[in-house]
Amino acid sequence: MRASDLIGREVRTADDESVGVITDLRCVQDGPVRGTQAALRVDALLVSRHHTGSVLGYDRERQQGPWLIRAVVRRLHRHMQVVPWSDVDSEGPPIRLRRTG
Amino acid sequence: MSESARGRVLDVNLHLLDRQIVDRDGEFVAKVDDLEFERGADGTLYIAKIMVGSRALGPRLRGRLGVWMRSIGERLSTDAIPTIDFALVTDIGSEVKVSATRDDLDAAPLEGWVRDHVISRIPGSRHAGE
Repeated sequence: MRASDLIGREVRTADDESVGVITDLRCVQDGPVRGTQAALRVDALLVSRHHTGSVLGYDRERQQGPWLIRAVVRRLHRHMQVVPWSDVDSEGPPIRLRRTG
Repeated sequence: MSESARGRVLDVNLHLLDRQIVDRDGEFVAKVDDLEFERGADGTLYIAKIMVGSRALGPRLRGRLGVWMRSIGERLSTDAIPTIDFALVTDIGSEVKVSATRDDLDAAPLEGWVRDHVISRIPGSRHAGE
């Protein structure tokens, strides 16, 4: 599986309610050591109603930048959810979560 | 990027995709065009390989541009999409550093072909530093 297979994929709850689309994949570097570093494990999905502007990172708290762009992108992504990978029931498409809406 | 109690936290789209890859000598290798995951025994996904080239980038681009880029790449090469083992990554920052050299990786075969078959035939091309 590739990152491009997951980014942009729709996410739906167990009762078929749309959550949004995956805009990014959050990884934690706590996997088995490969080479000189621990492997990066997919820990969560960033899911939003919109894909636009998410690659800029302004939808995330610590990202700085021009306030106007930051404000617009944050408004677009105000419903962004961080969905733990452990909540994924099947990878679809669409991604199906274990929880209901 | 940030640190958690479990380890460094980074987002694929924000911190990895489209970053430049540089080798151990600081030479540009390619860009991170896509990432390939491998699945652990419990279903966990780990980043296993960096995919490079137009055939890796094409599926990420929407619409005709993505189709065009992928088809051009497929016309130029029928080999497998070039990849770099993620185990070679030594640092992730504004660029992704790897422990190998550009020649060892052979991650940009088209660029290598142009260098060997076109650039090298230009008079004086082998003596640029002299």
